[in-house]
Amino acid sequence: MSRSVRVADALHEEGENIGLHRFALFTACCTAFLIFVGGLVTSTQSGLSVPDWPTTYGWNMFAFPFSKWVGGIFYEHSHRLVASFVGFLTVILAFWTWLAEKRQWVRWLAVAALGAVMAQGILGGLTVILLLPTSVSMAHACLAQTFFCIVISLTMFTSPQWKNGLPVARSSVDANRSIKLPTLCAMTTGAIYIQLLLGAWMRHTDSGLAIPDFPLAFGRIIPPFTSSHIAIHFAHRVGALLVSVMIIWTFIRVRSAYRDHRLLRKPATIMFVLLCIQLLLGASTVWSSKAVLIATAHVAIGALVLGTSVFLTLRAYGMVPNPKRVAAWR
Amino acid sequence: MRKLSLLICSLMLLSLAACGNKTDEIPPLPNGNNGGGGDTPPPTTASITGKISFEGDVPKPIKIQTAADPNCMKELFTEDTKVKDGGLANVFIYVSSGSAVDGKTFAPPSTPVEIDQHDCHYVPHAIIVQVGQTLNIRNSDMTLHNIHAQTVENSALNTGQAVPMVTPHVFEKKEILLPVKCDVHKWMSAFFAVVDNPYATVSAEGGTYELKLPAGKFEIIAIHEKYGKQTTMVEVKDGDKTPINFKFKASDTKSGN
Repeated sequence: MSRSVRVADALHEEGENIGLHRFALFTACCTAFLIFVGGLVTSTQSGLSVPDWPTTYGWNMFAFPFSKWVGGIFYEHSHRLVASFVGFLTVILAFWTWLAEKRQWVRWLAVAALGAVMAQGILGGLTVILLLPTSVSMAHACLAQTFFCIVISLTMFTSPQWKNGLPVARSSVDANRSIKLPTLCAMTTGAIYIQLLLGAWMRHTDSGLAIPDFPLAFGRIIPPFTSSHIAIHFAHRVGALLVSVMIIWTFIRVRSAYRDHRLLRKPATIMFVLLCIQLLLGASTVWSSKAVLIATAHVAIGALVLGTSVFLTLRAYGMVPNPKRVAAWR
Repeated sequence: MRKLSLLICSLMLLSLAACGNKTDEIPPLPNGNNGGGGDTPPPTTASITGKISFEGDVPKPIKIQTAADPNCMKELFTEDTKVKDGGLANVFIYVSSGSAVDGKTFAPPSTPVEIDQHDCHYVPHAIIVQVGQTLNIRNSDMTLHNIHAQTVENSALNTGQAVPMVTPHVFEKKEILLPVKCDVHKWMSAFFAVVDNPYATVSAEGGTYELKLPAGKFEIIAIHEKYGKQTTMVEVKDGDKTPINFKFKASDTKSGN
């Protein structure tokens, strides 16, 4: 094979892969939007406004007349269509990755994304058919976040930056800590994920206003636990406190130990800013008695906090040498 | 890229073929429930009559924002407290126990009852249906509704209705004060009382009511969606027309059935 042909092949491959990365990024953006639309369905209590599935009042859902998108149907049907679109994108993403990607584990991750989106569609249907049982609705909400994490991971792994090798970030400050940055980021991601589970539990048990005041709870620091709704709501508040500690800890660690590494500093800063917005939205959700847009924005920003944390965690694992390598370096 | 384009086209075709087709069939309007046996109710030879009075400040009906659906043009107001001349409407008054009903299972009436979704609100707001009796759910509006009864005792009811149509439904268990809503139009609210005997009624505008009974001793319950329930005992003989009044207060809190 001549040199020119090999160069052309290489350029072609690079083009395909950049295309795949951009497509994964587009799918991730659409997924974030889908989570917002899904949040709207819950906030407007429109989950059962279309009582049949996969049809819509007997119509093929793609042929449902726009003139009939009224009241709660608008939110529920929009959610179904956006979800279908994301499902469609995921099918393409999975096949494209399978065909174009050489790394076996990335191919299987794309298959996992496809499996997750299919399971998510079925769970969405079950929430309607079974009339929103808490367990199914929660599973639907949690799988949405899991799917979002998978797509963000795919976006990261297909990026030229990742494939060409992220720059190594060394820090003697971090190396001296018992919990290194990658582990800390992973712990933060886990905490955020658990907090989102608690949030979903709160939303789907209608416990969002079980404690009607903020920052106090019934005028006290610890509320009287007279119902499970109060306990669930309070657990979410305690979770918010723990997540805040974790994110601030991560942010400070990055700022102190990896000040010169923009690739770590930037997502850490974004995550911290998103946390501030999220805390304000959480408080406003109570103060506004669950105003639709505020409560929905709280769901969407929550997903973005998780997504940013996943992103930072992957970068940290990609950039920070493991302890053995650190020991060797020292 | 060619493979990818082929794949995208195939997926688009698949998605177009997916799901179902809209059927315009309107189910025939049932005349009533024909099945099921049970005890024949004793003839009603007496009655109790009276007024459900309301004490305290009457909440002003709130105008409902119906802009979510341009098909809902009629001006609507909340119906949870309907008071006229000091009388409270939409109170269920029914026999909860008594000599003529205890241990008996009554055959459902052959005549169906009907709830209509008309001008984006339920008519009537409070409706009694007997276990086994056919409830015809009508949609008279030129828009879509889903009728969603938030059942606890009965099996789920969440039915979508394209315009115009009637859907029959039968409840299998007693369930008083069963909330009904439309998830499309959040303001739509009604209440069913699924009773296990034929001795039940709803207070009319002005709070008046008449409950026809057979002779005997009964426990009577009056229950309202917002102001809770009251219980009284009564004994009636053939030909009696016993006056019994109930009083609900604005400060009353709702209780269960």
